[in-house]
Formats: sequence, C-alpha cells, structure tokens
Amino acid sequence: MEAKSVALIVEGMTCNSCVEAIEQRVRKIDGVHSVTVSLEEKSAAIIYDSQLQTPGTLQEAINDMGFDATLADSTP
Amino acid sequence: MPKHEFFVDMTCEGCSNAVTRVLHRLGGVQFDIDLPNKKVCIDSEHSVDTLLETLKKTGKNASYLGEKSVQ
Repeated sequence: MEAKSVALIVEGMTCNSCVEAIEQRVRKIDGVHSVTVSLEEKSAAIIYDSQLQTPGTLQEAINDMGFDATLADSTP
Repeated sequence: MPKHEFFVDMTCEGCSNAVTRVLHRLGGVQFDIDLPNKKVCIDSEHSVDTLLETLKKTGKNASYLGEKSVQ
C-alpha cells in the first residue's frame, strides 16, 4: 500500500453543503484515506492509496457528482 | 413522455448546478429545477431508478415523489 496525495481544483461549489456533500462522497471511495475540501480555495486535497485509485479516477468521481474538477499543477 | 417529480435536498445554487450537470451527463432528459421547493421535475425515457441514482450521485438526499400529469 502506498499513500499518495492529490490536489484538485473544484469549480462550482458555492456553499458549505456542497463541500460536505463532496467530502462525504469522496470519503466513501475505496482507497481514500482522507479528504479536505476548501470552499475559499475551490480545492480538494485527497490522500489515497495509489494501488486502488489514481488522480484520474478521483477527478472523475468529483466530476460525476456534478462539479468541475481539474488536477492542480503539482506545486513544488 | 412521463414527467417524474423528485425531491432533492438542494440548499444553494451550487447544489442545483450540480444536479443540472449530472442530469446533462446522463443525457436524454428534460428537466426543471425548483430550488426553493427542493424539487426536480424530469421528463425522460429513463427509468425512475436510473434518474434517482443519477440524482443521488450529487451526494444529496433524493427521493421519488411520483408522476406528474403533463398539463
């Protein structure tokens, strides 16, 4: 098992209930250890098991919920 | 086509936009969103189960209210 983290830009969240909906949903995904969603920064930070998920599948999961998720540039 | 009415626990514009997006992704649907009353009225060939599953994807509470006669 290898824990990795990914940062996503999430557009379309306007209130805390959107944030909570995403957090609850993402937390249920297999291999996700933790998720932190920020409304102010329009971002989601996810720590996940790289054997079960990829940044792409996590991005897809959020897109699937009706939000616009894009991979943030990996900042040094 | 049958018109189905659903309750979706939407609290803000972002919620209703999310619902709009998942329904657009499903395709083949025409719908109206009534944000103040937390209702989504969908006109589609898809089954009620498919529509309900799609609405639940947003992470909100959703339930089927019944068919609505087309006026």
